[in-house]
Amino acid sequence: MKERNLALRLACLIATATGAPIASAQLLQPQPPPDSAAPVSAAAEGIYAGTRPSLLQVRTLVEAAGRQSSIGSGFLVGADGLAITNYHVVSQYALEPKTYRLEFARPDGTQGALTLLAIDVANDLAVVRVEGADLPHLEFDPTALAGEIPRGERVYAMGNPLDIGFTIVEGTYNGLVERSYNERVHFTGAINPGMSGGPAVTAAGKVAGINVAKRLDGELVSFLVPASKAAALLERARSGAPLNPAQTREEIDHQLLAWQEGFYRKLDEQGFRATKFGPYQAPESAASWFNCWARTNAEQTPKPRAQMDSSSCSSQSSLFVAEDIESGRAELTHAYVRSSDLNAFQFAAFLSQYYASASMSRSWSRKRLTQPECREEFVAPADAAAAPVLRAVWCARAYRDFAGLYDVSLTTVTQDRDREALVSRLAMQGVSYDNALALGQRFLGAIAWTR
Amino acid sequence: MDPMNDKTKPETVWIEVLGRHREVALRQRIDAASITLGRAYDNDVVLDDPHVAAHHLRIARGEDGRWIAEDLGSRNGVYAEGETKRRERIALSGAEALRIGHTVVRLRSSAEAVPEEQPLGSRRSPWPFALGAIAIVFVLELLGLWLNETAEPKLIRYLTPVLTVVAIVAVWTTLWSVLSRVFSGHARFGLHLAILGAGLLAYSLYDQIGEFGAFALSWTALTTYQYVIGWLILAAMCFFHLRAIGPTRLPAKAIALAALAALGITMQSLKLSEWRSTYGQAVTLQRLEPPSLRLVGAENPQTFFTRVAALKATLDQARSKEPEEGAESEAEE
Repeated sequence: MKERNLALRLACLIATATGAPIASAQLLQPQPPPDSAAPVSAAAEGIYAGTRPSLLQVRTLVEAAGRQSSIGSGFLVGADGLAITNYHVVSQYALEPKTYRLEFARPDGTQGALTLLAIDVANDLAVVRVEGADLPHLEFDPTALAGEIPRGERVYAMGNPLDIGFTIVEGTYNGLVERSYNERVHFTGAINPGMSGGPAVTAAGKVAGINVAKRLDGELVSFLVPASKAAALLERARSGAPLNPAQTREEIDHQLLAWQEGFYRKLDEQGFRATKFGPYQAPESAASWFNCWARTNAEQTPKPRAQMDSSSCSSQSSLFVAEDIESGRAELTHAYVRSSDLNAFQFAAFLSQYYASASMSRSWSRKRLTQPECREEFVAPADAAAAPVLRAVWCARAYRDFAGLYDVSLTTVTQDRDREALVSRLAMQGVSYDNALALGQRFLGAIAWTR
Repeated sequence: MDPMNDKTKPETVWIEVLGRHREVALRQRIDAASITLGRAYDNDVVLDDPHVAAHHLRIARGEDGRWIAEDLGSRNGVYAEGETKRRERIALSGAEALRIGHTVVRLRSSAEAVPEEQPLGSRRSPWPFALGAIAIVFVLELLGLWLNETAEPKLIRYLTPVLTVVAIVAVWTTLWSVLSRVFSGHARFGLHLAILGAGLLAYSLYDQIGEFGAFALSWTALTTYQYVIGWLILAAMCFFHLRAIGPTRLPAKAIALAALAALGITMQSLKLSEWRSTYGQAVTLQRLEPPSLRLVGAENPQTFFTRVAALKATLDQARSKEPEEGAESEAEE
């Protein structure tokens, strides 16, 4: 996972045909066929038997080769062949409809083409159609739709992990994830690559949520999309016109723009609190869906000659767009640096490593993003008595596939003391330029001296 | 022995055998009206060139007083220098040289004009400047290292660059001195050292001043295009080295070096732009300095954000362009 902070990273669940890296040895060991397996419990056996005919394996095939390049799961929700899966399961096809095509395989061995009807990028959902009539299908659980399933309820996640066969996994419903901007249900159970898009059903065999992701840094910490989101998208797919494959990108663009509009409005509404860093104060979001971590270099050996204490808050709002584009995250970082040991020049050199990295992105695909454009200046505060002069650098890249969306970062370094400084950074993924400017202005304006 | 004043004597003539680099290898006065040249020991001028016949050439004064060169029946023949047509007889006026085998000979009349006497001591010793410049370079580099020191100072971090510079100075100066010795006969080590010292000093000063300037004036181009200055200084140094070896054809040398510098700058620019595009790097200031060094005024936030807003147009334009060739490769930090 490169240099990313594992603790903050959700794993999406696409298993590639070449084998998912997280497939452990035990999982790949031959398992007895489900039918002859000793039942997990009598209840699970009944649920499995009742639900299995409604399950689908969703395959993305490379058009030219006719072979699968990724797999996921799905489930039928109507006798007319409508089925739910994850957006990320069909994302390759959605973005490149000429290169890929979709296919389903049912547990009884029947296969066929899938039509993509609707997508919901923010909730990672898609509605697809299987040709056929009088198909077995699942119902949504009414208590789940109302969001009233109690914590601790037993839930069964179903799907085809790692392409080894349809499977049932018993787990626990743990309610909505508390500090996530996008609504996700915390499911304690083993969801594995390939199960994405499969249903999580209650003991009554009704859909409580849709398997979507798991944490790679924990055990059995998995996530479901709430059933209500799927029901809403299904309603839209039934009433609206089906998605034109050639216009899927515009649809994704449209959804991402609408999503960020809502996200940055709420961020603005929630407001910022001024956090104290030595003689400075800087803004941190008051929204609950920010996850903050502190870092210090005090314990490094050899002992650093400048002390750095940083606080980094990132929003729990990542959106999967494609394997090589992640969107939806905002991050506010402040590092308070000071030294009594270094002289002014050496201290500036120490700060430079934080400043010069402003134009670097953690990772980028030039197929997806343009070259960055940066602007740097010394910026004087509006009120010279309240805040220091800042060295500020703004860097932005445009999304090539999606008009109106940008990745933007704003980095500032206070310019009032020789051996003490606050380095602040605001980073926004998949944001409109206007929202980025507005938040950037608010961020920069909130860096000040403490009173 | 001054022939100019001896009107009674006929005009005296010297024969000169030229070496590989047109330096005079042998000079002999001709008193007779006719001399022969060749490898055999009964010639007046004995040549050690294996491509010269035993009796190759006779040079004799004709009846009109002009000197005539005549092939004595050699295998390789006689040529006027610069020509490709073999000649049996060549009338010599004094200016032209003859090629026999691989040897070049010419006649010089006693009336030949010689360059003016050069004053002694007009050339100052280059050593004080050379050593001074290099000492300043060392001081600047060590100062630069010290000002960039953010960890525990370690002697090795200072020693390695110093030894590297010493090695570069030694190799570079020796190289030019050897070339100098080969082509002009004088090594002129001090002069070459002085040229290198001046070049290093110029670059070192720019390195430091450019870095401060980029911050103080908020003008990043000063450090971004530092490599251009580097190439120009290198070209200028090479020009002065070449001039020290031989002051002939200077404009041609200057043009060749300018072309090489332009090539170097172009190559490096392309390489940098390719690197930036591969790794998605923007050009920003790489080095902060103490806040007190800032010379330009600070903008107010509105101005800054207006300028930042203007980037949108550039980005939207870039969005519509396809990524460059090799776009499949992805760069990760």
